[in-house]
Amino acid sequence: MATAQAQLDTKWWSGGKSPFNVEYGKLMMWYFLMSDAFTFGAFLISYGTIRFSQNYWPDPNHVFNAFPGAGHANLPLAFVSLMTFILIISSVTMVLAVHAGHHMDKKGVIKWMAWTIVGGFAFLACQAWEWTHLITGHHAVLIDGKIQEIGTTVTHNPWGPYVPNLLHNGEPVSTTGPVAFGGYFFGITGFHGFHVFSGVVINIIMLLMTINGVFDRKGHYQMIEKAGLYWHFVDLVWVFVFLCFYLI
Amino acid sequence: MSSESPVHGHEEVISSHVHAGHEVHHHHHHEESFVSKYVFSQDHKMIAKQFLITGMIWAVIGGLFSVLFRLQLGYPEMTFPILEDIFGKWAAGGRISNDFYYSLVTMHGTILVFFVLTAGLSGTFANLLIPLQIGARDMASPMLNMLSYWFFFLASIIMFSSLFLQSGPASGGWTIYPPLSALGQATEGSKLGMDFWLVSMAMFIVSSLLGGLNYISTILNMRTKGMSMTRMPLTIWAIFFTAVLGVLSFPVLLSGAILLLFDRNLGTSFYLSEIVVKGEILPNEGGSPILFQHLFWFLGHPEVYIILLPAMGMVSEVLSVNSRKPIFGYLAMVGSLFAICILAFLVWAHHMFVTGLNPFLGAFFVLLTLLIAVPSAIKVFNWLTTLWRGNLRLTPGMLFSIGFVSLFISGGLTGIFLGNSTLDIHLHDTYFVVAHFHIVMGVASMFGMFAGVYHWFPKMYGRFMNNTLAYIHFWVTLAGAYLIFWPMHYSGLAGMPRRYTDYSNWHSFNMFQDMSRFISSVAMVVFAVQLLFIFNFFYSIFKGRRVTSTNPWGANTLEWTTPVNPGHGNWPGEIPEVHRWAYDYGKDGRDFISQTEPVGADESKH
Amino acid sequence: MEHHVESSTEVTFHHPPGGSDTIKRIIKTTVLLSVITIIELGLGLWMYFLHKGEPSHGLILAIKGIIVILSLAKAFYIVSIFMHLGDEIRNLIMTIVVPLALFVWFIIAFLWEGDSWLNLRNTDGHSRPKTEQRAPEAKKPGVE
Repeated sequence: MATAQAQLDTKWWSGGKSPFNVEYGKLMMWYFLMSDAFTFGAFLISYGTIRFSQNYWPDPNHVFNAFPGAGHANLPLAFVSLMTFILIISSVTMVLAVHAGHHMDKKGVIKWMAWTIVGGFAFLACQAWEWTHLITGHHAVLIDGKIQEIGTTVTHNPWGPYVPNLLHNGEPVSTTGPVAFGGYFFGITGFHGFHVFSGVVINIIMLLMTINGVFDRKGHYQMIEKAGLYWHFVDLVWVFVFLCFYLI
Repeated sequence: MSSESPVHGHEEVISSHVHAGHEVHHHHHHEESFVSKYVFSQDHKMIAKQFLITGMIWAVIGGLFSVLFRLQLGYPEMTFPILEDIFGKWAAGGRISNDFYYSLVTMHGTILVFFVLTAGLSGTFANLLIPLQIGARDMASPMLNMLSYWFFFLASIIMFSSLFLQSGPASGGWTIYPPLSALGQATEGSKLGMDFWLVSMAMFIVSSLLGGLNYISTILNMRTKGMSMTRMPLTIWAIFFTAVLGVLSFPVLLSGAILLLFDRNLGTSFYLSEIVVKGEILPNEGGSPILFQHLFWFLGHPEVYIILLPAMGMVSEVLSVNSRKPIFGYLAMVGSLFAICILAFLVWAHHMFVTGLNPFLGAFFVLLTLLIAVPSAIKVFNWLTTLWRGNLRLTPGMLFSIGFVSLFISGGLTGIFLGNSTLDIHLHDTYFVVAHFHIVMGVASMFGMFAGVYHWFPKMYGRFMNNTLAYIHFWVTLAGAYLIFWPMHYSGLAGMPRRYTDYSNWHSFNMFQDMSRFISSVAMVVFAVQLLFIFNFFYSIFKGRRVTSTNPWGANTLEWTTPVNPGHGNWPGEIPEVHRWAYDYGKDGRDFISQTEPVGADESKH
Repeated sequence: MEHHVESSTEVTFHHPPGGSDTIKRIIKTTVLLSVITIIELGLGLWMYFLHKGEPSHGLILAIKGIIVILSLAKAFYIVSIFMHLGDEIRNLIMTIVVPLALFVWFIIAFLWEGDSWLNLRNTDGHSRPKTEQRAPEAKKPGVE
């Protein structure tokens, strides 16, 4: 293998070549993702800071316990597990698309990109349902001595501690919880959802370019690889959003 | 793209690849249209000039604002009816109103910090120097590079239009601390002007990211053969670390700004808690204004190094070229740049010692902050030893570089005072702080920028700038900088706070009124001299003395191996190969040895 | 869509495409990620049931710690296998991983601050009495 030998003999930093053996587009994508990691990092760390400064924080198992079509059944974490698996699977199909691209397998790329896009839309749909459910799902809360029905929004949080021995229509009544909960939840999942959405748009563009044979003419599928990096990053961020909002 | 032979013949391999994709662009330059050459140009040199000239326009606006508020500070009892003619209600009765004063100060800071000393400085010199000094045809992605400028332009337009809003531009200080900046009912400047500020800054962050990613990828991936990292000129090292700082810290400001936008427009409580404005109790609860300060300064502190590092790099280069001596301690210079880059991320809260920061946590920030003195001192020592016994050529660029070193020492020393949280209790928010950061960050970086402009003007326009005007510019600016900011240390130590429009009713500080008037007068003279520089700049583009040789300064770096007016692609033939570092001056009895010259058999080691 | 007027002088070696073992590795990683996620969910549910009683603070903290470590493991597999960072040469891995170390102080300092605000919130009661505490004080004896 002449290539392997050349790689071994190379002085990577001596100039005239990439010290990382990658073309600049991929390098820029990596550094962009690193930079974006700091955007998300800053959001999540702010969330952590505010959460640390509160005496009470809602239990995620309690807030996220609904499932579409399951009525009022108490299913903690079920729906978000579905969302997580959708994202993991779409990440897998993306890897397979990149893999097919390495083999110049146009049909394979089209198939797996299409599945990735489906996964992306499915995730967005789940998120839309979850948001709607949180915003419109009203709960009895004791505010200024009166029982009111409020949903979870960026300005209201019905998930405070329960008022002992107080029932309203058979449901326990809570006090208001920290407002920052809704703000951060909708802010960060929204920002993540925006990334998913832009990832889906990028993937659709890539799919169309593949169908039109752009990459076959170019002789490589590196654009798919770069789109793939972005898509996996979206999955990666979800790991931490999932961790910070739903698990702990 | 893939090639088994890593070195020779790659021109052919890649150019064929390029031609396959883009039939429009060929090796040979055809006549470009006005739009593609001057407006939507993808040539890094043209983009550099666009950044520079936009930066200069902003510098004039920002400088003019400082003249206006110095007028108020120096002559609080006088009225200037002309101001009312121009600014209407903002200067009713010929006196600058309080709201207007705060707007002026806020915009002065924002413009100078972000638009002039970030975009104008690293935008200009990163674009101009990276490809030329590392031996590349252009940036890694000329397209994104162009977008970087146009996002900056968009940010500029938005910020500029905010000046004409009925409620005025943002006025909460360039640090836009909430709750002041978050509540429109708090002050006029926190109404629409603040939203414009935030959106403009978001565009600016996009611009800075596109630029920074490009600079990093280009420096890493596009170096010509032989240009190992340790052969790069210090300018490139400095710009590299600047870009790293920007790429990792600007996103944090973006997050902070987005949360602030939410607090302003969606009623969230990220930064707000238990506030009463004009008798009205706000529903916001549970947030913390200090959180914003943390997020802001996580960018804000690296930002001051984003401003300072390019100046340091250019000064190192200009000092070495004009001392006809190698830079002293090249690796120490690189190492100290690296150390500054790391420390810049670890010290942000030293801006917040008295804002409610946990004092125990503050102690760690004191320690980390004072560590910065070490690399800074190394750099100063190396600059001075580079000058030591050098064969100095006092060109305008060289004078500004020496001026930079002087200002960096003067301003850096006061930083040690401010870095101590205990001393900061007394000094915080006084004129001492104003003096410190203006000298060490503001004026010093401007000096670095001037050094760069004078030194590389021949490369940019194929002509020299006028020396007489340049010397006037230098001496007045240097003397002016010290005359303006030195006295502020005294009033600051006496406890005179900043951010007041009028001190005349404040008996403790009446004794500084004459001094304040003196400062204002000098500020106006210095501002006028900057206009002289701008005249010199534009005059010399068209009428300056022509550069006749490719290497007018006798410098080693690669940009001086290109033609006097390099076309797009920089080198007409092959890109030269590099055989040595950039600082072989006065070696083996030779004045200078270009980086492209192979190492001779009997040459002494450096 | 980059327009190179001349061309970059960028040279990279060809990355040989992976064969069927790549597919195998992808499947293996998928299974691994799924298993970790299921364990995380299990731990999450455990905490849910613990919260119905009076769980010890230390136990909850330990479970949360395990979940954080598992999430970091997931992140590692996604980056290293799916994003192929593990297949890149060491230089590239280092330039991407090392800057992330900045998060250490970023997180410590911020959370420390948050904790300090909590402390302030709960201890400045001496100077600012809570409303329900103030109410009885307002009633002076003998007024009614």
